[in-house]
Amino acid sequence: MLVHSRTGRWAAWGLFGLLFLPLFALPLLVVVAASFATHWSGALPSGPTTANYTAAVRGESLQALTTSLLTAVAASLLALTVGTWAALAGAALRKRGKRVLDALFMLPVAVPSVVVGLAVLVAFSRPPVLLNGTGSIVVLAHTVLVTAFAHQSVSAAIVRLDPAYEQAAASLGARPAYVLWRVRLPLLLPSLTAAAGLCFALSMGELSATMMLYPPDWMPLPVRIFTATDRGSLFSGSAVAVVLMATTLLVLLAVSRIRTRASYR
Amino acid sequence: MPPVAVLAVLFLYPLALVVQQSLSPDSGGGAFDAYARVFGSRAFLDALGTTVWLAVGATLGCLVLGFTLALIIAFVPFPGARAVAKFIDVFLSFPSFLITLALLFLYGTVGMANGLVTEFTGATEGPFRFLTTPWGVLLAEITYFTPFVIRPLLAAFSQLDTAQLEVAAGLGARPARIVRQVILPEALPALGAGGSLVLVMCLNEFGIVLFTGAKDVTTLPMLIYGKAILESDYPAACVVAVVNIAISVGLFGLYRVVSKRAGA
Amino acid sequence: MSGIRFDGVCVAYDGNTVLDRLDLTVEPGEVMALLGPSGSGKTTALRAVAGFVRPAAGRVLIGGRDVTALPPHKRGIGMVVQQYALFPHMRVEENVAFGLRAQKAPRAGIPGRVAEALEMTGMAAYARRYPRELSGGQQQRVAIARALAIRPGVLLLDEPLSALDAQLRSGMLAELARLHRELPDVTILYVTHDQVEALTLADRIAVMDRARLQDCGTPQELYRAPRTEFTASFVGNANLLPVTVAEGGAVFEGRALTLDRGRAVPGSTATLCVRPHLLGLGAGPNALSGTIAEVQWRGSTHRLYVDVDGHRVKADLPELRETPALGERVTLHFEPRDAVLLAAGVAHA
Repeated sequence: MLVHSRTGRWAAWGLFGLLFLPLFALPLLVVVAASFATHWSGALPSGPTTANYTAAVRGESLQALTTSLLTAVAASLLALTVGTWAALAGAALRKRGKRVLDALFMLPVAVPSVVVGLAVLVAFSRPPVLLNGTGSIVVLAHTVLVTAFAHQSVSAAIVRLDPAYEQAAASLGARPAYVLWRVRLPLLLPSLTAAAGLCFALSMGELSATMMLYPPDWMPLPVRIFTATDRGSLFSGSAVAVVLMATTLLVLLAVSRIRTRASYR
Repeated sequence: MPPVAVLAVLFLYPLALVVQQSLSPDSGGGAFDAYARVFGSRAFLDALGTTVWLAVGATLGCLVLGFTLALIIAFVPFPGARAVAKFIDVFLSFPSFLITLALLFLYGTVGMANGLVTEFTGATEGPFRFLTTPWGVLLAEITYFTPFVIRPLLAAFSQLDTAQLEVAAGLGARPARIVRQVILPEALPALGAGGSLVLVMCLNEFGIVLFTGAKDVTTLPMLIYGKAILESDYPAACVVAVVNIAISVGLFGLYRVVSKRAGA
Repeated sequence: MSGIRFDGVCVAYDGNTVLDRLDLTVEPGEVMALLGPSGSGKTTALRAVAGFVRPAAGRVLIGGRDVTALPPHKRGIGMVVQQYALFPHMRVEENVAFGLRAQKAPRAGIPGRVAEALEMTGMAAYARRYPRELSGGQQQRVAIARALAIRPGVLLLDEPLSALDAQLRSGMLAELARLHRELPDVTILYVTHDQVEALTLADRIAVMDRARLQDCGTPQELYRAPRTEFTASFVGNANLLPVTVAEGGAVFEGRALTLDRGRAVPGSTATLCVRPHLLGLGAGPNALSGTIAEVQWRGSTHRLYVDVDGHRVKADLPELRETPALGERVTLHFEPRDAVLLAAGVAHA
């Protein structure tokens, strides 16, 4: 406790409310409010309706939602596989090799997503691999972008894993592959699911690289929200945005449920 | 190793192609032609300037705001402080452009703030017009990226021994002095790490700028998008991309060094 | 039946030698305690047997077979560590079955062997529990059952009791002694820094300090006739007095002392080791008089610190009716058979 006087404490809380509510809480609230409205010309939105949602869960928007879900699930699983594999391989390396591997896998975080999109577009619009105009190029770009996060969080978890478990397993006669499958991966499960959740959320909201790549028949939700608002349909765009937020939250919630069940201590 | 091969094919090879295209485009032209063209253009220099000052400004804003909020959450706890920390985690999982979308309803030509003013004054138009200017982008970036500063700070504060604060207070130090002499030195590594991460992310931010829809706010990522998708000028896009990569990878390297020191 | 042999084993980390030319043989079925302070190399020696550290030089043999280059999972050892390292995501029975499954033991035989191991450690009632639902002592028993289930020829115990509180520790100590009686064929290497554990449990004790083996012998040998100052002070308490060797005894600060045991050259300097509880108060043979520097009451005993010509001598005496005052002059004495002469500065390793 830093501030001991009652007035001082209230002043600090007041300051907090003054900064926090309008900056962080209000934006999410107005998007939700707008999604139920048709007009916003006064202080508050008007013309309450649920029509925005009826539109948001059918037709193009529904297609965008499934596109986003498929992309996010595929990219997360791919990223998790590659990232975990790299993290496990890195843990077995010496210090120097590990540092190089870490830097290599962190690079996609540093490179602007737009550039990742551009690079993937340039590379796969020419032989030998032509993916331009397919949904898989979007999945591929998302995978590149989120692998770094998967790798980072799994690496951190491996460092925290007590080597006594592996050693106990080895002393009981378990060969390395058996130790990995029956001891290390189960113990890493909480971190793996956390990483999966993170990757999923990032992929669901990815706009920058997607804008560079998406073909007309593979339009994820963020692009759909952009085209809606760009046309001036702010209110229906908000409804789609709320659907996006809700889906992300639901999946994160489900993941954290799995996580609590998988964490043992 | 297979994972490295995957990364090489999906990421390093495309990146190398971008660099190669920026030097010798398929469409012809000598080495550095595209560079000369881009570096000579007004739009590029403007975008570079805008990108840098927006990123620096937003980073400073995030640091000040994040430090203040994290201080209160950690050291003047109130019922619901944990919920706020949870909310911040959730906030981080949403895409950035949602903030711009929200700001449109808050400060847009028809929005809450202007609506309030017109209702009270009877004026036909509200006073808030900054949304389509760089200031709108700055506000959105500060809002969106501040949690990225708060999180490492809260982690650092939780490591801080509260006994230190109590001893300092027992010795008669006032809160401002405790913050300056006890908390701030402990928080510096986390501030440095969070700040440089935010700086890199601001340099690379695209969604916020795109949703603002302002013609006069062009950042480097916007310029890349414009050149490549709208103008189909790939060599120019690749040149801008190389510049953007150079700046942000350099800064990210700095972030890694700083965060290693911070033990984050 | 398989014994363990260290054959000139050296281990170094980043240029620091943590185990220096260890030569030691553990006989089949023997309990050998590696006793020493932290950093003495005792845990490193155990981990060299388990295969988690690779010796820079020398060989490790288990049952006469050179295992130096063998990975841990091919060595056929059981191991229990300080923090137990029970797999938190498996039930007790799965933990115990782990080694059998990993080694592809015949499926049908596994439940029986799991039950047997749990029975032996008194944990049969807890088979369906998860480790987090058990107390520290129970986790310890499961860890031992897990190690015994694979019927290892060699059991490595690395500070197995140091995470338990004092009361549980003495109970577990008796338990371990019982297990060893039931499994006389198992060779046990027991690493500890606690002399009581080593004295209670071990057939022989290897005393280690600063990466080296200092002394090795039965508990009685080490306690009654330590060969080095380090052993004398680390195994039990000791007064170490600088003396000059004389015919049939020694000279301490001008006092002639008679000793039964002593094999040093007359005229050379040596160290005399006298256990505090073997000192008596009052006049007698080998009298040492000095002034009381401190008196501590310890319930059933009194510990006196007496300054004898600048040397502080400790004496543990049965509870005194009248405690001497500080500064009072007192005389201590000891029997000629109760002191041991140590040749100064010579390690007997």
